[in-house]
Amino acid sequence: MSEFEPKVVAFVCNWCTYAGADLTGTSRIRYASNVKIIRFPCTGRIDFMLLLKSFANGADGIIVSGCHPNDCHYTSGNFHAKRRWIMFKELMDFMGIDMNRITFSWVSAAEGARWAEVVNTTVARIRELGPYVSYKQMVNTAVEEEVTND
Amino acid sequence: MINLVSRADELLESKAVQVVIGYEAGSTGKARPAFITDPSKTGSLIFDDRCVQNLAVYLTKKEVRYFGKAAIVATLPIMRSIMMLISEQQVFAENIVVLGVSAEGKYIDIAGIEVMQQYIATCDLGNPAKDQETLAMLNKMSTQQKFDFWQKELSKCIKCYACRQACPMCYCTRCAVECNQPQWIPVQSNLHGNTDWHILRAMHLAGRCISCGECGRACPVNIPCHLLTMHMADQVHNYFNVYAGTTDKMSSVMSTFEPNDKESFIQ
Amino acid sequence: MARIGVFVCHCGENISATVDCHKVAETVGKLKHVAFSTDYKYMCSDPGQTLIKEAIKEHNLTGIVVSACSPRMHEPTFRKAAAEAGLNPFLCEMANLREHCSWVHEKNDMTTDKAIDLVRTLVEKVKINSALQPIKVPVTKTALVIGGGIAGIQSALDIANTGHKVILVERSPSIGGHMSQLSETFPTLDCSQCILTPRMVEVAQHPNITLYTYAEVEGLDGFIGNFTVKIRKKSKSLDEKICTGCGLCTTKCPQKKIPNEFEEGLGFRPAIYVPFPQAVPNKPVIDREHCTYYIKGKCKVCEVVCPTKAIRFDQPDEVIEVQIGAIVIATGFDIKRADFFPEYGFGKYKDVIDGLQFERLASASGPTSGAILRPSDGQVPKNIVFVACAGSRDPAKGIAYCSKICCMYTAKHAMLYKHKVHEGKASIFYMDIRSAGKNYEEFVRRAIEEDYVNYIRGRVSTIYERDGKLIVKGVDTLLGGQPVEIVADMVVLATAGVANHGAEELAQRLHVSYDSHKFFAEAHPKLKPVETNTAGIFLAGACQNPKDIPDSVSQASGAAVKVAALFSQNELTREPLVAFVNRTAPPLYSTCVGCFLCQSVCPYQAIEREDFKTRDGKIIKTVAKINEGLCQGCGTCVALCRSKSIDLHGYTNNQMYTEVMALLNEY
Repeated sequence: MSEFEPKVVAFVCNWCTYAGADLTGTSRIRYASNVKIIRFPCTGRIDFMLLLKSFANGADGIIVSGCHPNDCHYTSGNFHAKRRWIMFKELMDFMGIDMNRITFSWVSAAEGARWAEVVNTTVARIRELGPYVSYKQMVNTAVEEEVTND
Repeated sequence: MINLVSRADELLESKAVQVVIGYEAGSTGKARPAFITDPSKTGSLIFDDRCVQNLAVYLTKKEVRYFGKAAIVATLPIMRSIMMLISEQQVFAENIVVLGVSAEGKYIDIAGIEVMQQYIATCDLGNPAKDQETLAMLNKMSTQQKFDFWQKELSKCIKCYACRQACPMCYCTRCAVECNQPQWIPVQSNLHGNTDWHILRAMHLAGRCISCGECGRACPVNIPCHLLTMHMADQVHNYFNVYAGTTDKMSSVMSTFEPNDKESFIQ
Repeated sequence: MARIGVFVCHCGENISATVDCHKVAETVGKLKHVAFSTDYKYMCSDPGQTLIKEAIKEHNLTGIVVSACSPRMHEPTFRKAAAEAGLNPFLCEMANLREHCSWVHEKNDMTTDKAIDLVRTLVEKVKINSALQPIKVPVTKTALVIGGGIAGIQSALDIANTGHKVILVERSPSIGGHMSQLSETFPTLDCSQCILTPRMVEVAQHPNITLYTYAEVEGLDGFIGNFTVKIRKKSKSLDEKICTGCGLCTTKCPQKKIPNEFEEGLGFRPAIYVPFPQAVPNKPVIDREHCTYYIKGKCKVCEVVCPTKAIRFDQPDEVIEVQIGAIVIATGFDIKRADFFPEYGFGKYKDVIDGLQFERLASASGPTSGAILRPSDGQVPKNIVFVACAGSRDPAKGIAYCSKICCMYTAKHAMLYKHKVHEGKASIFYMDIRSAGKNYEEFVRRAIEEDYVNYIRGRVSTIYERDGKLIVKGVDTLLGGQPVEIVADMVVLATAGVANHGAEELAQRLHVSYDSHKFFAEAHPKLKPVETNTAGIFLAGACQNPKDIPDSVSQASGAAVKVAALFSQNELTREPLVAFVNRTAPPLYSTCVGCFLCQSVCPYQAIEREDFKTRDGKIIKTVAKINEGLCQGCGTCVALCRSKSIDLHGYTNNQMYTEVMALLNEY
């Protein structure tokens, strides 16, 4: 079996992290190709359910990233996001869902190198943790159940 | 409960309210909710240890609203629910009369929202002691143990949504689980759908749960789902120093922020 | 049935060097609903765009995915091309194969696979995109300028001269602001009043300017191009139409000992007064707080002496509502007074004064007619000390910033003193001399070299009084921290410039943001220094941070151009990427239950209430409604809404969900 290649989904805001990742490109800084970016207008737009959907559909890791506090294009979307992340993380911890699978970060439009670093450290960490099976297993058991019920 | 009965009587007689929501003895010896519209029937109102249900859930039901103004027998959790419902504009203060009952089961005169607010301020607003113990025990577990615990519990869920129906704060006409474009929560009652549902419910009650424990009591398969929302209530207090349902002008924790909200996990 | 076109760009070799563009086009071309797929060297070139346009027409495409560079770069280009080919521009999406893929990864299969995934994801998204129409909002071509200092005056005049109506609101009885208080101005030493008053008169006489003095903005509703502003015109107790401004009342008023604000407390004024001789409008107001009639119920001397019977004791305040399209905030600044400094005697020493007080002493129209005299005994000070950075650049005092204007005006003060008191001695304690500006450094050098002003680099630790003299204890850091003690006759503190009183309340009323010092906040510190975060509201002058006159005037003209640009259109066109609340058939009307928690998350106050009523007017249901003029499309409300009743055009729940599913699953 070939080496495990983690699937990482990145949920980023348009104005800071997406632009920061653009800068990583313009600066030709290399990073792991395991990560794929989905663009949102603002971190405030990111629904926590989408993170769960990612895990259920095979993501091994997730990056959620936006503008640094006080730098939000919409002034306060990231502050609201931060509160939601705090509560989401607490709930996940309480339910035993491994939060090492998610990286939350602030990456500005000027931090091209930092974006590469965030991606690389996340991918390395997920590689070490191995494939994320707990959430996927739930889905698999569910599908099996349906099949046997029929 | 002479005071409670006579006050209910008085309110109906004077037509100050059209319905009194309280408890009465049910046929199996349990207490059940009572909706009294006839002053001569107020004698059936009871209040004792059996009366634990959060009656605030009925305030938003259209069948109850149909009667008109309501008086409601309210212990602390019910009062806090009422505060939340008023601040979320689901119930209007002028349409309800609160018949307060203290922790000792004594009638307390709640002459208005301000009085209720003062009363709530004197109470312990943390989670009930026995739930606190369970929460502490769960918090001590390893990640894998917690995961196994909840997976075992949630595998029992039959997606009857009793937890939602029993909760006064789950008043949405259309719940997110009924949204099918996209289908956020898998419809079937399987481990995946069940887990997603309970996460969604706990997140939606973050900063809004007033720790009545009604969802857990309502669960027909005894999933301690109230621990999820109670844990959220604990954390809301821990991070933001807020207890839900203390005033009628509450700004919700999840719809406000402080620039210096503390966290240690964002890189 | 969706018919999607995919256009993979090589970007010369920028993409094709690491991504197998042909394979991407070929693989994606096999996907369901993909009707056309191709790769090309330069999609953004003219032939590339023509290729796209022709494919749209030829294959009757219902959506396209241009797989090229960052959408932040070329999304407008390709959306325009789509529109030219008759496809709604919002049915065009871009996959970022350059910045997010080819430039950051090695050349290998994984990189090409990632490119395929990125394109595939957007193919799935674009399938459910909706055609969106730009939002048009009308523009009311009247501007409101708040504050009648030099910045407000300049903005008002510039806007008025473009042919648009301006309403200028000033809180005090006259326009002119702090500039009218100044004696001479640096670096030219021309008289402040002489250059300002013609502008003030121009404002009063301009046919396009409506001037409301003694008035304040009470509230604001609406959005860019369509504001409704409430203005409270405080009662002047006077019929301005009849008053001729003869001034007889002001000379006869028995109440004469009220500290004069314009003179910074160095002189007195009556209860019915004109703030200064060149005031605009030059008609008095009654200060009801100090007027004997309002305090004791009798007096009315002014009414008796008024030749035109213009006094109106029972005149009420008037609140008016005006429709406007844009706002310039030019409310200026204030300074810390001597009482802010315990180390300099809490303002209890009469001869420790602040910069504005010195301006009045030096002004030919001031309380001493321009003679520099000690406020305590009227003597000419032989030895004068200026303290720069009094409060500024002092984090311990809560003011970490530099007030910018003090270095220059302190040099000016010392020069003015030396020009008037030739034998006098002037010393300046300073931290650094900040004289960046045209002819500024030369000005400071003149003070030092031609007027022999003694500059001492160090701070003053304490000032106390002894035998009628002020003992100034400081340190000279250029002499290795040697203590310096000067026995002075007068001390002038160049106190920190701070936000004007009431700035915070005004910011809240106008829904614009402000910083921790209560100065108004610009939308971007570098690229949008004139705009606020609220569209249609602009900043001018020292309300943003302390500024000198040329900076204030420049910014005021900048703000005026922003307003003029806005008013050059009859309608504003906005991108339709805004939130919306769903609507369903009665009796539900919407799945929104009206908890209005979304109202407090919205940074733009864009969420309003909508009532559904029966025919006889009874409210059945109240739900949220998005004001499309105000919404900026952040979507914070969307992720908050529990019942999923709010959604965001361009980033709908369904679209984002589809993207996640498509990215992780191969269909």
